[in-house]
Amino acid sequence: MGSKITINPVTRISGFLEIEVEVEQNQIIDAKSSGMLFRGFEKMLKGRPPLDAIFFTERICGICSTAHSMASTLALEDVLNVSPNENDKIIRDFMHGCEFVQNHLRHFYQYTLPDFVRGLEISPLYTNTHNDYRLPGELNKELSKHYMEALEYSRLAHEMLAELGGKAPHTHGIFVGGVTINLDAAKWIKIKSILVKIKEFVNARMIPDVYTIAKYYPDYFYNGFGYRNLLSYGVFDSYEEKELFYIAPQVMINGERQKFNSEMITENIHRAWYEAGKIEQRPTEPTIDENLHKEDAYSWIKAPRYDQNPMEVGPLARMLLSGNYRGGISTMDRTIARVLEANKIVVIMEGLLEKMQLQSTQQGEYEIPKLVKGKGLIDTTRGALGHWISIQDQEIHNYEIITPSSWNLSPEDSIGFKGVVEEALIGTKINDLTNPVEIGRIVRSYDPCVSCATHVISDRYEPIRISVV
Amino acid sequence: METIGPCHVVKSKKTTARSIVNLAIKELQNNKKDKINLIWLEATGCSGNIISLLNAENPDVMYLLQEMVSLKYNNSLMAAEGEKAFKQFLDTLDTEFILVVEGAVSTKDNGLYNIIARYQGKAITAMEAVNLAGEKAKYVLAVGTCASYGGISAARPNPSNSISVAEFLKREVIRIPGCPSHPDWVIGTIANLIAFGNLELDSKNRPIMFYSITIHDHCPRRSYFDKGIFATKLGDLECMFKLGCRGPITRTDCPMRQWNGYVNWPIGANTPCIGCAGESFPDGMEPFVRY
Repeated sequence: MGSKITINPVTRISGFLEIEVEVEQNQIIDAKSSGMLFRGFEKMLKGRPPLDAIFFTERICGICSTAHSMASTLALEDVLNVSPNENDKIIRDFMHGCEFVQNHLRHFYQYTLPDFVRGLEISPLYTNTHNDYRLPGELNKELSKHYMEALEYSRLAHEMLAELGGKAPHTHGIFVGGVTINLDAAKWIKIKSILVKIKEFVNARMIPDVYTIAKYYPDYFYNGFGYRNLLSYGVFDSYEEKELFYIAPQVMINGERQKFNSEMITENIHRAWYEAGKIEQRPTEPTIDENLHKEDAYSWIKAPRYDQNPMEVGPLARMLLSGNYRGGISTMDRTIARVLEANKIVVIMEGLLEKMQLQSTQQGEYEIPKLVKGKGLIDTTRGALGHWISIQDQEIHNYEIITPSSWNLSPEDSIGFKGVVEEALIGTKINDLTNPVEIGRIVRSYDPCVSCATHVISDRYEPIRISVV
Repeated sequence: METIGPCHVVKSKKTTARSIVNLAIKELQNNKKDKINLIWLEATGCSGNIISLLNAENPDVMYLLQEMVSLKYNNSLMAAEGEKAFKQFLDTLDTEFILVVEGAVSTKDNGLYNIIARYQGKAITAMEAVNLAGEKAKYVLAVGTCASYGGISAARPNPSNSISVAEFLKREVIRIPGCPSHPDWVIGTIANLIAFGNLELDSKNRPIMFYSITIHDHCPRRSYFDKGIFATKLGDLECMFKLGCRGPITRTDCPMRQWNGYVNWPIGANTPCIGCAGESFPDGMEPFVRY
């Protein structure tokens, strides 16, 4: 029996996460990740007007709200049998791109950098809490400066989004049928000029910065592996032009590529606080009941699996599957892939700008069918996001959401597969048990969004291992 | 040419200048030291208000953190993690501080729906943290609609029994609703508190400077409403009232202030206001869109 290390809060992520690891002879031999917030969006959505799902599900997450407006809009377009025209689709994809850029900039500079860069000069928020800072003085100073500079560019990414969608976070302009904005040249040139600035920053700062970190922390190419199973639902995949194309839906399991089939997606509840007739459900099935008395359950996140396999989702999965990144799978590869993806997305956005026409949006008046089911699957900043909707009597009858962070942060399933992040932690060597910096660095490389992962409902439970005085 | 010796006036001028600079630096340092502490607690919500704060501009978030307040605790931004992080929260409780809460307070099962830390083996719920800090804070700011009124976290059937910070704390809480709250509303309120003290609040404890008028009062599409010309679908340029616009019952300065670099706002994107800063959001504001 090894010693236990618990980290809660895992800061510099979105939401509330607890990581517990068991360590023997400075090596992690077991790991558990638990989400720590429940709101119950799926239950709240029941009975609401279907079109409201867009603005409603955005509020699952403050850092990736546009991801949910994309997936909910696609699910609604599926059930309403609506397709946006080409121009509206281009503008919508551009808006989705803004969200990627905002997220990647903030994740790399505000969330990741403090793990590797000493003494950012906005104490007391940046107290140095360990001794494993390795950048030489000048470089360290330079990267701290970039931390401050980056704030302007992530803000500008949201400004582009607001220009087209009213405001951000929780933007308004993405809707069934495409977008709601009527593009004019003033708006077009404004977003174009902002994108130039962001591109410059990504290339002159962000990309060199991640390689600087990689140079001084090369051991992080040798931890945080996970299962090496990769999944993407595809994003920016409907254009013929090569420079606008990113990735079609893809799966890689044990090194073998497979054709993606959404029917293979299940959620396993073995170690999650849920009770149902079956240990695993499909997202098209009704929301299941909760049971916090369940023995040995330790997470409020269900375990999504693809054909029984835990899958890594996110920038590294996309960059590897699409052939845009030639490195391996590790903590540092994950961090580098995210930064390189920021540039990839910016280039796609440039291409989308060139294709935009100054046309009015083609919004319609949408009639909700009496009885219908549909889904919206798309890769978003943190990976594969799925919304499954069922409508009865023109109301939402059932709504299921599987977020990217549920894929990455899931608990152990009934086959015995741990979650992806848990697996990535197991085997890691901890140099200093009083300052286990490796844990936070590995976990953050997945850019966890626990606001998203723990949106699901858990009712009537009582605490098992948590005692509150 | 006669050689002139060092003039004592010039000499003293030099030292005077230096001592003034030194005094100024000292003053500055003292001021920095005297900046009031701030705890920004994320509770039951989406952590979108801290993201909105990062979108602030003139002053931006760096100005806020370097010149206005001393931010001691925030889950999204702080470097420390685990117990070391939470200790910074605890250590701040015995100082003079402003408490910002974003997110509602989930009260179900004694708050266990939202655990924000584990300290010395003990789970700390958001409910407990809001209570601990709320009792001692000089000012409490409920930022965003969840903290202000329960918001989307308390949406029917309210699975986590979420309530507003004011309802939970039973003390004066300044409400800065909005989903998310505009960074100007937050920073402006803090500026008022630290530079001028008393803040003028309305009957719902919202700063009057931001919440005194309805969106409808200052809507640029008001003339369409007055003439009875209404949009029939999103994307239209006329009054959004018949599509379900909640501008007439929602008090914020969105039409004038606008968002994200002051470039746009929801009605500017040809969509109705969904009343996200209102007390009854979201249940009382639905449907968000109707034809």
